[in-house]
Amino acid sequence: MSRYRHLFTPLRLGPVTVDNRIIFSAHLTNYAEGGLPTEQHAAYYAARAAGGAGLIITEEHSVHPTDWPYEKLIHGFHREVIPGYKRITEAVHRHGVPIFAQINHNGGQASSMYSRLPVWAPSPVADPMFREVPKAVTHGEIAEIIAGYAMVAGHCAEGGFDGIELQCSHSSIVRGFLSPATNHRTDTYGGSLDNRARILLEIVHAVRETIGRDLALGVRLCGDELIEGGTTIDEAVEVARMVEASGEVDYINTSIGVATATLFMIEASMHIPPGYAMFIPSAIRKAVDLPVVGVGRFKDPIQADRALEEGHCDLVGIVRGQIADADFVAKARAGHTDDIRLCLSCNQECVGRMGLNRWLGCIENPSTGREAEIISAPVKPPLRPKKVLVVGAGPGGMQAAISAANSGHQVDIYERDTTPGGQVRLAASVANRAEFGDIIRNQVTECKRLGVNIHFGITVDAEFIATHQPDVVIVATGAEPERPWWAPPDVAKPQVVDVRDVLEGTSSPSGRVIVVDELGFHQATSVAELLADRGCSVEVITSGMVVGQDLGVTLDMEGWCTRAAAKDIDQLTDLVVTGIEDGKLNVMHHPTGRNELRDADWVVLAIPQAPVEALYFELSKASLQPGAGFVVHRIGDCVAPRRAHAAVVEGQQIGASL
Amino acid sequence: MNLLEPLHLGGRAARNRVVFGSHETNLGHRRGFSPQALAYYRRRAAGGAGIIVLEAASVHVSDWPYERAPLAETCKDDWADIGKALHAEGALVLAGLNHAGGQGSSAFNQAPLLAPSRVPEVNTREVPKSMEENEIEAVIKGFASATRLALDAGLDGVEINAGQHSLIRQFLSGLTNQRSDAWGQDKLAFAQQVLGAVRSEIDSFVSAEGKPIVGLRLSCDELAPWAGIVPEAAAEIATALSGYVDYITVVRGAIYSVGATRPDGHVDPGFNLELTRQIRAAVPSEVAVIAQGSIIDVQMANEIVTSGNADFVEMTRAQIADPDLVSKAAAGDVARIRPCILCNQTCSVRDNRNPIVSCVGEPSAGHELDDQPVEGHATSPTSVLIVGGGIAGMEAARVASLRGHTIRLVERRSWLGGAIRLAAQAPGRERLATLADWLEAECRTLGVTIEVDHKVTTAEIEAAPAVIFATGARHGLLPFGTEPGAIVVQARTLLEAHHEGGMEAVLGLLSEGSILVWDPIGGPIAVSVAEMLATVRAVELVTHDQVVGNLLARSGDMGTANTRLHGAGVALHKRSLLRDVGPGWAEIEAIYTGKRERLEVGAVVACGHEFAEDALWDSATQGAAAKSATQHQAGDAVAPRTLYEAVLEGRRAALAIERTSPA
Repeated sequence: MSRYRHLFTPLRLGPVTVDNRIIFSAHLTNYAEGGLPTEQHAAYYAARAAGGAGLIITEEHSVHPTDWPYEKLIHGFHREVIPGYKRITEAVHRHGVPIFAQINHNGGQASSMYSRLPVWAPSPVADPMFREVPKAVTHGEIAEIIAGYAMVAGHCAEGGFDGIELQCSHSSIVRGFLSPATNHRTDTYGGSLDNRARILLEIVHAVRETIGRDLALGVRLCGDELIEGGTTIDEAVEVARMVEASGEVDYINTSIGVATATLFMIEASMHIPPGYAMFIPSAIRKAVDLPVVGVGRFKDPIQADRALEEGHCDLVGIVRGQIADADFVAKARAGHTDDIRLCLSCNQECVGRMGLNRWLGCIENPSTGREAEIISAPVKPPLRPKKVLVVGAGPGGMQAAISAANSGHQVDIYERDTTPGGQVRLAASVANRAEFGDIIRNQVTECKRLGVNIHFGITVDAEFIATHQPDVVIVATGAEPERPWWAPPDVAKPQVVDVRDVLEGTSSPSGRVIVVDELGFHQATSVAELLADRGCSVEVITSGMVVGQDLGVTLDMEGWCTRAAAKDIDQLTDLVVTGIEDGKLNVMHHPTGRNELRDADWVVLAIPQAPVEALYFELSKASLQPGAGFVVHRIGDCVAPRRAHAAVVEGQQIGASL
Repeated sequence: MNLLEPLHLGGRAARNRVVFGSHETNLGHRRGFSPQALAYYRRRAAGGAGIIVLEAASVHVSDWPYERAPLAETCKDDWADIGKALHAEGALVLAGLNHAGGQGSSAFNQAPLLAPSRVPEVNTREVPKSMEENEIEAVIKGFASATRLALDAGLDGVEINAGQHSLIRQFLSGLTNQRSDAWGQDKLAFAQQVLGAVRSEIDSFVSAEGKPIVGLRLSCDELAPWAGIVPEAAAEIATALSGYVDYITVVRGAIYSVGATRPDGHVDPGFNLELTRQIRAAVPSEVAVIAQGSIIDVQMANEIVTSGNADFVEMTRAQIADPDLVSKAAAGDVARIRPCILCNQTCSVRDNRNPIVSCVGEPSAGHELDDQPVEGHATSPTSVLIVGGGIAGMEAARVASLRGHTIRLVERRSWLGGAIRLAAQAPGRERLATLADWLEAECRTLGVTIEVDHKVTTAEIEAAPAVIFATGARHGLLPFGTEPGAIVVQARTLLEAHHEGGMEAVLGLLSEGSILVWDPIGGPIAVSVAEMLATVRAVELVTHDQVVGNLLARSGDMGTANTRLHGAGVALHKRSLLRDVGPGWAEIEAIYTGKRERLEVGAVVACGHEFAEDALWDSATQGAAAKSATQHQAGDAVAPRTLYEAVLEGRRAALAIERTSPA
């Protein structure tokens, strides 16, 4: 505990005192239903409160019916939200943790798809993502918006919240007014910074009037929009000064980027260094006396403590860290820092699911998104602990072991290889993807803590099972590369290998390399970068319309395209491989039906793999024999080769169901 | 009309041959049907539809293909409510039953996708699990128990999906069934087992209303002749399965051609007719055949039935657009049926955002419980001046007139239809104009006073008791530099020229040389303008996006649009910004490198966002008249958007007169 000098010191935010400096700050969850907060909201926030967060700030509540940019938005402007608010605040307060509500109008960063109303914004500038021309609001409509903020703040006060945060940062009509890129007005709300900040100060005043001095009020500002002609740090500091000068605000939160233009810098993936947005709170803190919150890929408590030590900020917002481990703060406080299930910043199941309108989850924490279910059906220890044998120490096998051990079973994992992690190890072996490997570290740590033994270098077969006599066998043997029909093994040129061959080091392509991307994720782009770094001339081809198409989902697309351009990696789309001819790859451009021969020394395949399922079928058969005495299940890639989250989910489910 | 004659199907009698087919609505709720769904279907039943096939429900928990997809085991009560309501309106009601197999989604149940073989779906690229024997059995049982639930709920039968997004088709096809076991050696086996199980539920069900119906929706052309179902094979499949079913709905498309099943207006109506004819000829006459495929015209539908090429006709989108299609046809008012323009803009809802089914021409579709009905009369009718004869203005005029107001519609141009007539100038989009034609005809039928070539005056505005401003949009900003001599034409101007004088007039706006089409939006305008220009000139399309036309994904035209552009030889500059235009050149910047490139182009056609034409509104609402008159604004005049908002707001403005005008 003593290793942190600042994290566990209290701080006053107006009328509210937090007992530590870690905030579970606002983020979308898609847990709302019909515009109302749900049981899941309450359970989700309560889990982080139980885990020791100093302060929780909810996702945004909309202040006006013109604001409905995504389906599962909480409609704060309906009084019907209040019972749900009470459910949330009571659940969090039970753990002695304060909770603030974020309220907002997304302005032009929206469409009319759900609202069936014109989108409102300072000026008729179409948002880069939604691409719908908004209506420039009149003075009457500005008054309506301000009244909406005040009304929703009133709902929040009635619902038991301890404070209000105004999101004026990455997706907000207030940001729209503040930013010269989106505010082209010539009236008293446009032009000078005083004018552009007018609506912010009017909202602050109206909200303060409503909530009085018993609730805290915070303002979240964008320090750099990272767009052409947008707000940068100097103006943000100026606005922070104005906010402080109002005398009505208790703290300032910060963020970077515009959600509908530069989201990849707001919810940065592992390619962006931790603490990348620290310059913002740092600059603001120098200018104001109000407490300032810093955010931006805080991975662990040590890093957070150092940001406080160095004076960049007074509090830190840690979202993904607490999505991955609800007990992040409690473990740090208790000195069990190594037990924290570190966030990978992979963005696959949190950010990625948000963008696809799905409920928020986590690649390595299968409880995230299911907190309400878990409360209603807690795990009961088994009447008779079973002897569980897991085959394979990839993410699926290890999660199955963790889950079974948590349910009270006795578990052993047998791994053919000499190290754990399966394909994750390969995925994490390329530049800037190392953090993906933290899932292995986290799982191995948890296995150790739960007394699960991992045995390496052992290939399990039916005889092995007969000898060890487990009650349950969980087969998690993963997948293996499969050679496509068009690449018979006897081809001399080009040499055709799988991504795994390259990452494992069993093949070292050189010269002209074509990477074939039929997976649409990191496999192709990672190997392309690796080989370009080694001096190969690389092109990535895909039958799809975009190389690495799902990198957009995890916000890795911008970075990949930038690096690919810098490394002279060509990206070619709409190409289907039809064979090898004269030592060249024959590809068909399917929109035109035109075939061409592309020269290559090596072809590296990022294509679907085959499940390693023979053991499962063998054991299935054996388990049906009279007196076999065991049942067999399979999970993860040996069911169907997919991404890591599927293995973890299936591991968790099977382990809990024995 | 033969189309409107009754016909027996199984043991039940359909009052006519018009089917409202099974389709995704996103009106589901917690895996059942919402009250909105009931209202949506009831409206079509009230309008005269003969048979309504409900949105397909998953027959087994392993299938959750989209968030709001119904699940049979939670549908019984909702089915019963819907059945009762629709029977009261005189329609037959069937449950759609499906398992999407490898074309489903693992996002909601977080379980592996099930499929005959490990063939990934092309968009998600997710590898499905090759089904084990017990899973195959469970799904077959699921079809049977779902059938039983539907019958117990009082529905008239079931339609089993072996068309798009279906496990049964995946078993039937060599594209997706690569098994070496019995299920692969005999690709018919799974379909036969499913239909056999369904048939035995039907046969054992005792009902005073006659034996229930079993229908089969069958993909008869997978458009992948290398391994997929081709029409000749489909005829054999249909024949082999005909003993189990009362009807077969002939559809096309498969895993690599999802958009081809219900394409937009780039594909001609009735595209499946030859295929339907082949299947009709192959299967025994006691099995009915239902024709599907962009059939939107009552005459065409009637001919299909009269000629014997099919016994029933699915007119799904046509009845989304006009729920009263049948009753209008029955009354001899075919011309008054609101046309489906095959735009797919709001009725295609297989989209992560869960949009609710609706129609650009009939925005109350899917919102039957939300929207004030157009039907009814104003208690104190008044005189309404409508400024602007585009879609919003005409819809306002139509609705206000229906409500009993006296309407004067003025338009500064010599013709009505506004931006939609301009958009309809481009290839593949001609059909959009039929909505303008219909609205204009309705306005004239309803006695709206129409004055074209009339520029409204302040005096007229001030004198009118009620005014609706539907003045449309104007040119937008050009966020790039232009040097003297640069030729930059906005899409609106180009299309207007085409409307006035065809391609000759278009070429009159442009200099020699190739043309750069600048597309910062990714919608249909730039793509269609590029297609238009590619018929006469070399065209280069510049977009900052990764994919050209990416907003076309929802309507299903994104892939096909790119294919057409490639086919037309349009050079695509993706991930690029247009920076400067000069005489004979344009400079673009690659987003990820910042490198600039100078293209030799004679002219630039800008297809960017526009501004609202709201000067009249501003002066009227700020002037003295503001106090006395009822004034509303609608469509692009508020903010330039799409047809949907124009119709919706035109209608709302017309209805709002009653709320705001002095009694």
